[in-house]
Amino acid sequence: MSPTPTRKSLLTTYLQVAPLTLVLICFFVVPVALVVVVSFFRYQMLVGIVPDFTIRNYVDLLTNPTTWSLYISTLKFTLIVLVITFVLGFWIAYFLVFHVRNLLVAIGLFLLCTVPFWTSNIIRMISWRPVLGKEGLINNALINTGIIDSPLQWLLYSDFSVVVAYVHLFTLFMIVPIFNSMSRIDKSLLEAAIDAGATRWGVVWNVVLPLCKTGIALGALFVVTLVMGDFFVVSVMSGGLSGSATSGIFNDLQFLNYPRAAASAVILLIVVLMIATAIFRLVDVRKELAR
Amino acid sequence: MNKAAMNNPASAASAAQESGEIRLVNVAKQFGNSYAVRDINLTIPHGSYCCLLGPSGCGKTTILRMIAGHETPTSGEVWIGDQMVVGKPPVERGTAMMFQSYALFPHLSILDNVAFYLKMRNVGKEERRSQAEEMLRRVQLHHLKDRMPAQLSGGQQQRVALARSLITNPKVLLLDEPLSALDEFLRLRMRGELKSLQDELGITFVHVTHTQPEAIALADMVVVMDTGRIDQADTANMIFDRPKTPYVARFMGGQNVLTGKVVRAGNEPMRLKSASGVIIETVPASFNMGDNVSVSIRRDRIGFARKSQASTEAINELSGTIIATEYQGSYVKVTVDVGDGEPFVANVSDDIYFRDPADVGDAVTMSWKPENVHILNKVDTGEAGASFLDDSH
Repeated sequence: MSPTPTRKSLLTTYLQVAPLTLVLICFFVVPVALVVVVSFFRYQMLVGIVPDFTIRNYVDLLTNPTTWSLYISTLKFTLIVLVITFVLGFWIAYFLVFHVRNLLVAIGLFLLCTVPFWTSNIIRMISWRPVLGKEGLINNALINTGIIDSPLQWLLYSDFSVVVAYVHLFTLFMIVPIFNSMSRIDKSLLEAAIDAGATRWGVVWNVVLPLCKTGIALGALFVVTLVMGDFFVVSVMSGGLSGSATSGIFNDLQFLNYPRAAASAVILLIVVLMIATAIFRLVDVRKELAR
Repeated sequence: MNKAAMNNPASAASAAQESGEIRLVNVAKQFGNSYAVRDINLTIPHGSYCCLLGPSGCGKTTILRMIAGHETPTSGEVWIGDQMVVGKPPVERGTAMMFQSYALFPHLSILDNVAFYLKMRNVGKEERRSQAEEMLRRVQLHHLKDRMPAQLSGGQQQRVALARSLITNPKVLLLDEPLSALDEFLRLRMRGELKSLQDELGITFVHVTHTQPEAIALADMVVVMDTGRIDQADTANMIFDRPKTPYVARFMGGQNVLTGKVVRAGNEPMRLKSASGVIIETVPASFNMGDNVSVSIRRDRIGFARKSQASTEAINELSGTIIATEYQGSYVKVTVDVGDGEPFVANVSDDIYFRDPADVGDAVTMSWKPENVHILNKVDTGEAGASFLDDSH
């Protein structure tokens, strides 16, 4: 009726939204905007950053074959890790949800999956060395049993060890969202499928998998962003032999070439956003969550 | 015409000849240390409508799921037709189940839901679509074939579930509380539709319910279950009119149960005397003097009058005070406190009641004829439901 209560309630609404908006502006919008702005600045040897508007940083990066090979290498790791973590994550979640009948046992096993996260990233990575190293557990075992004569070189400081570390670190990020969407599946749906003559595989393929799409998409998003954003695991586990898209940024930062690092970051951001868009194209997460 | 189209060629021939008789032999199901059901011996004739009736937790759904193949009996045999089906998957049993929550696949359209069985049998896309459409026409939902299950009302979802079960061309249709999620109006309508569907298809229906009127209205055969055991399996009329145990009499709701000692036996009408001194006369029966006998008297077979001078040694008469009256349209349910034990209930037809309406607190006398006293096979031991579910028994 009178405008006063409306205005008052409008104010309340704004006040309620304000804290989150402020947080997002301070910690998300402003930093990203800064990075974008800096990416157009000029870098001058011995002088440093010079405010400017140039696309040279981008041209430099995109015409540099190293950038491309780094991206290809990163995308290769992303794809391999995505496939492995998905296969592992899906079956572990499947086991926990549909085969462990006792809820307490299921929760216990679920917590067991998080055990690796009780130590730091570095320790978890370093602990692979005594396992995969030249005189590590696996090589020793293989030599002592006489299967091989000389230690396998590709176990450590190779693409293999990088993938192992990634899978070790990131599988949980796949398990959790898949577990979440799988546990919301009505068990009678599985019985209905069996009733209609579906085999065990038929049930998984026709019922469980489609109903886990949201979880799979979210898990894939986690894994993609984590692998794409990593430079540490790849350099430690490959012994500096491999790099990632983010390593380029790291190198530029070390040379204080902020503009090129910023441009690199913007490109990476665009690539990740494109992948994320593709994932959400495949799965309408919002619709699925509303279900 | 529709019926022919719905039959799918692979199973039509076999299902047409095979019997949908279900036999359960000494079936028991144990969960942990306790039995869900025990000593189940039951034969459901081919082509009958059978209702498994009992309170929640009595094991009726467990029996249904064992027939369906979603639960394996701990011991005993399940036969469908001339096949021992324990260990066989549902499709090989020729059963189809309609789940309580309908269990429609939320990610599939109505058409794909119905066609799911055909897809699992690798029927070609065109073929399975046309068969599923035919089936949807039968349940009058063809116009909704492209909708998703969440966009349908409860009644529509149920029809889809029905169509999805029937497309498997089953010998036996198993229905787990199919009407419990519907509102009263829809429930009555679907009840009628289920019955006529069963008449039309001529296959065996096994229907789990906890609602007595539903069971009586639908079933050729009612199986009343107590905790994990079958109390009585009989026609609806026998179950309602001539219950075998005090539990069935009470559970069906239309009976008063009285217990007394035999004080007159032999060729004369038998007489019982209850603990509170009521004399009950029945038809002659072969009991000995001093035996404890329980009887049931239908609520609607009870004469009802305001209390006159208490006559001593009145036979088949019980006096008490009205504690509740409930108008039911064609009759009035009068609940009378008779001093000890459970209240006595008389369903008094409305024309008799309203001639001289008695109210709460009024003293009344109820009477009945000896031929309306039905002798139960089991003596009332208080509350029904033996504690045999504990394994220690």
